[in-house]
Amino acid sequence: MEVYPSVKVRKLVAGAFQDIMIKHPTSNNHRSLRFLEWFCPPHLVEGIEGDLVEEYYADAEAFGEAVASRRLWLGVLRFFKPGIIFRNRFRHPFHTIMLRNYLTTTFRNVVKHKVFSAINVIGLGIGITACLLILQFVMYELSYDKFNEKFDRIYRVTNDRFQQGKLIQHGTITYPTIGPAMTADYPEIESYSRLMPAGDLNVKVGDRFFRGESCIFADDHLLTIFTFPMLAGSPADALKGRYRLVLTETTARKYFQFTGDDWSQIMGKHIYWGLDAEPYTVTGICKDVPENSHLQFDALASYETLYTPENHGADDNWTWSDMRHYLLLKPGVDYKALEAKFGGFSDRHFQGDKVSGSVEKFFLQPLSRAHLYSDYEYDIAKVASGKAVWSMLIVAGFILLIAWINYINLTTSRALERAREVGVRKVMGAIRVELMRQFILESVVISLFAFFTAVLLSALIQKPFNDIIGATLSPMKVLSAMSGSTILILAGVMISGILLAGFYPAVVLSSYQPVVVLTGKFTRSGRGGLIRKALVVFQFTASAALIASTLVVSRQLKFMNEAALGIDIANTVVVQSPERTTADSTLIPRFQAYEQELTTVPGVLNATTSNNIPGARLGRAFNVHLASMPESSNVTFSFIGVDYNFLNTYGMKIVAGRNFEATDHNADWEQIRSVIINRRAARLLNLKDDEEAVGQHVNFWERDWTIIGVVPDFHQQGLKREMEPIVMFPVYSTYASTSVKVKKETMKETIAKIETVFKKHFPENSFDYFLLDEYYNTQYRDEDRFAKVVNIFAVLAVVISCLGLIGLSSYTIAQRTKEIGIRKVLGASTPGIVALLSVDFMRITLLASLLALPLAWFAMNLWLESYPYRIAPGWALFVVPVVSILIITAITVSFQIMRTAAVNPAKTLKYE
Amino acid sequence: MYICLANIIIMAREFLGEFEELVLTMVAILKDEAYGNAIVSEIRQRVGRDCNLSAVHVTLYRLEDKGLIKSSMGGATNERGGRRKRIFTVTNAGFSMLKDMKESRMELWKYIPQLKFGSL
Repeated sequence: MEVYPSVKVRKLVAGAFQDIMIKHPTSNNHRSLRFLEWFCPPHLVEGIEGDLVEEYYADAEAFGEAVASRRLWLGVLRFFKPGIIFRNRFRHPFHTIMLRNYLTTTFRNVVKHKVFSAINVIGLGIGITACLLILQFVMYELSYDKFNEKFDRIYRVTNDRFQQGKLIQHGTITYPTIGPAMTADYPEIESYSRLMPAGDLNVKVGDRFFRGESCIFADDHLLTIFTFPMLAGSPADALKGRYRLVLTETTARKYFQFTGDDWSQIMGKHIYWGLDAEPYTVTGICKDVPENSHLQFDALASYETLYTPENHGADDNWTWSDMRHYLLLKPGVDYKALEAKFGGFSDRHFQGDKVSGSVEKFFLQPLSRAHLYSDYEYDIAKVASGKAVWSMLIVAGFILLIAWINYINLTTSRALERAREVGVRKVMGAIRVELMRQFILESVVISLFAFFTAVLLSALIQKPFNDIIGATLSPMKVLSAMSGSTILILAGVMISGILLAGFYPAVVLSSYQPVVVLTGKFTRSGRGGLIRKALVVFQFTASAALIASTLVVSRQLKFMNEAALGIDIANTVVVQSPERTTADSTLIPRFQAYEQELTTVPGVLNATTSNNIPGARLGRAFNVHLASMPESSNVTFSFIGVDYNFLNTYGMKIVAGRNFEATDHNADWEQIRSVIINRRAARLLNLKDDEEAVGQHVNFWERDWTIIGVVPDFHQQGLKREMEPIVMFPVYSTYASTSVKVKKETMKETIAKIETVFKKHFPENSFDYFLLDEYYNTQYRDEDRFAKVVNIFAVLAVVISCLGLIGLSSYTIAQRTKEIGIRKVLGASTPGIVALLSVDFMRITLLASLLALPLAWFAMNLWLESYPYRIAPGWALFVVPVVSILIITAITVSFQIMRTAAVNPAKTLKYE
Repeated sequence: MYICLANIIIMAREFLGEFEELVLTMVAILKDEAYGNAIVSEIRQRVGRDCNLSAVHVTLYRLEDKGLIKSSMGGATNERGGRRKRIFTVTNAGFSMLKDMKESRMELWKYIPQLKFGSL
């Protein structure tokens, strides 16, 4: 071995070094070396340190220890550079050299199997589209009221009322005194706001009339608690004083035909409302209320308008409960703790049921729950079902999962084609990790394709989707409303989903042994087949469950839409009240003449006026008891004021006693004494028999009334609510709308004639009408929307699952090509083979449907439970999904099988 | 074999810096004794050039990344305080790289006018 001089020298000196080491025992422990060990990657430390120490000894020998120590420090510091510190800390995720090769292979594969790739991309694309749309919707629903700057400190006061321990009202309405009294009692409350809905505006601006904009009486705190930016006027003062009006931008532009931006021109203008002699003054213009506000209005009127020094019920009454309250709590206050103190508040101000006739309980509802989690009566909030929103999110998640499973299935089913490639790559030296990287990269590329497909698709379906949802959504709107963390979570879910979907095929494909694959002995092993089958079972379970749910939801909806209500609302035109007409002593004859003339119109079957209509929440009387019983037996009835023609028009039968007659009406409200009740009301009064009820005296509103008749129970409020005890009394009012029963065929012409009659009798009013059944069915809007969305999803799930099935069947059939050939040679018929092969798939989907049924049954029973009147999900609802899934499977699979079975066996058996 | 293929691809694209070439050559010269300090003193002696230890180390690691040399831990010695040396050896790729470079140099030399060459 040749030894170079320098090394020789070194070896000669080696002996001397040993002495040095004994002379400099600290060198091995030098502080600079600790520093080196701290920053240097562990696997490099030994080599570097050794070199440095060696140098140190040489220096110490030549120049002394001090110099050596200094030089050692210098040497160590020189190693403190990125090339050393970060060496091997970050690894490249890919061999960048192979990246181009991977991409080339991917694109060649995509192009080579166009149909297959298309199925893959479209399946995944549909899944992502569904997810994108639903996410938009869910995010929008969750964004409600968040625009309010004091969002997390605003609470709604809600009020439950109890009689004899039973809940009789669950509402947002309370007494006008609640806000001020609570604020005075509890220092945790910073401010309150009182609201009373004023219904639709019916106004005269200059010489023009407008009707239909919704208005709320609100006190001056409202605009400082909520964030409704003002274009003119100050939030704190605009609603101070009487007869003040704040308009939204759109309303102001409409009323004053105003197009400019100088809102000061509108300020101070006068608007006359209804019959009020005193005009309202415009004292503020606010921007339009955001769509995602639970509180919606076109105008605000000052609350002080409602009371005067002489007539101050709206300010300090403890029994009039038409007011809604919002509280602004001080920062850091725990609302649950505050709520817990409200028991004392009720005792103090209501003394059990002494004051208002019922036991009052008060609660706080955070603003964040107002839109999605409200089931209150007399609610003015724009509400939606939180349950439905979350279930849509879950369903969207399932769709995405199904789509990913599809991807996994389709990719692994192509294993044989890729097996040879894997073999060659391995022989060329590729290790497993590299192959896995390759296949994961492929899945990322496919997912990107799918993602772009999804973006295009969702842009296309956005509009129809918005129509179903009933909101104007757009991706940008939703993105801007999302918080950074939500976006991160969603991106995380997407990315990890894509990687996971790529992972399984990558594991399977990279596992092949080159020896087996390349010698041609490779047949698709049964390994992994079970997993693929399980995945397909899962897909079809989800699909079958969705089909079953669709059926149940649409059946329930149909049931609610078509159920016998006990009251006939079909072909009924409702004309809105003539409220600009003065109510005077001529009221009754005028209305009766009006009704009389209506019934003479051809096409009109009957007509009646009532101060409320079917589908609306009725008012309640709380202090109802039989005149012969003590007040402690108080019960609560809902009430409706009707004219004597009401029962006839709505097709209701008297079961005991008599109907109202014209003589029951009286111009003097104090003189009216007769009432008709329904059966539930009779039972609630402990009157066991309908006949027994007739002639009884019942006391409420500090007056004795005589029950003159009993009617059967009817669904005043749709099938989502329990039927109620109802009392009717005969009354005419300018606030009563007219219900006109018409012939369906000539409805259009008849309405025009009704208008003429209405205008003739009430010339100072505008004619507005709607169809009662449409109005009534808006109560089921949520269900309708839910049914439509579930429907769409069921279809999507089935489509995607079928794509997955195509993948699985093409895989299995290709595997059995030779078997089919042999069978045919031995005399099997094509139908026989189709049947034989189909059975396998049928078994899979049958299993899936059977698994799905209990799931769907459980979920749907849970859903149905919230409806007091519901369908019993019968066996048909569960047989249909099973059968339809089987048919779909048969169609999907048999096409492929038939193609293979039809092939001449000579062709398939020729090659070996 | 796969690794080698990859390296050939690199060689076709990558060029060595002057210092890298120097260090690579030194590793080849020192054969089994090529470690940080030895290379530093070898350069000092043969080329008369002072270079610091850390620069040599970083270059060695870079060459290793490029597959031109490989390293293993050698025996521990007392003068190193019981620490083992990281011994570098030239790979086949490294040798062929050196050879290529030498050949291309010689090839280029041919084109320098003979007159000057002769006068040297």
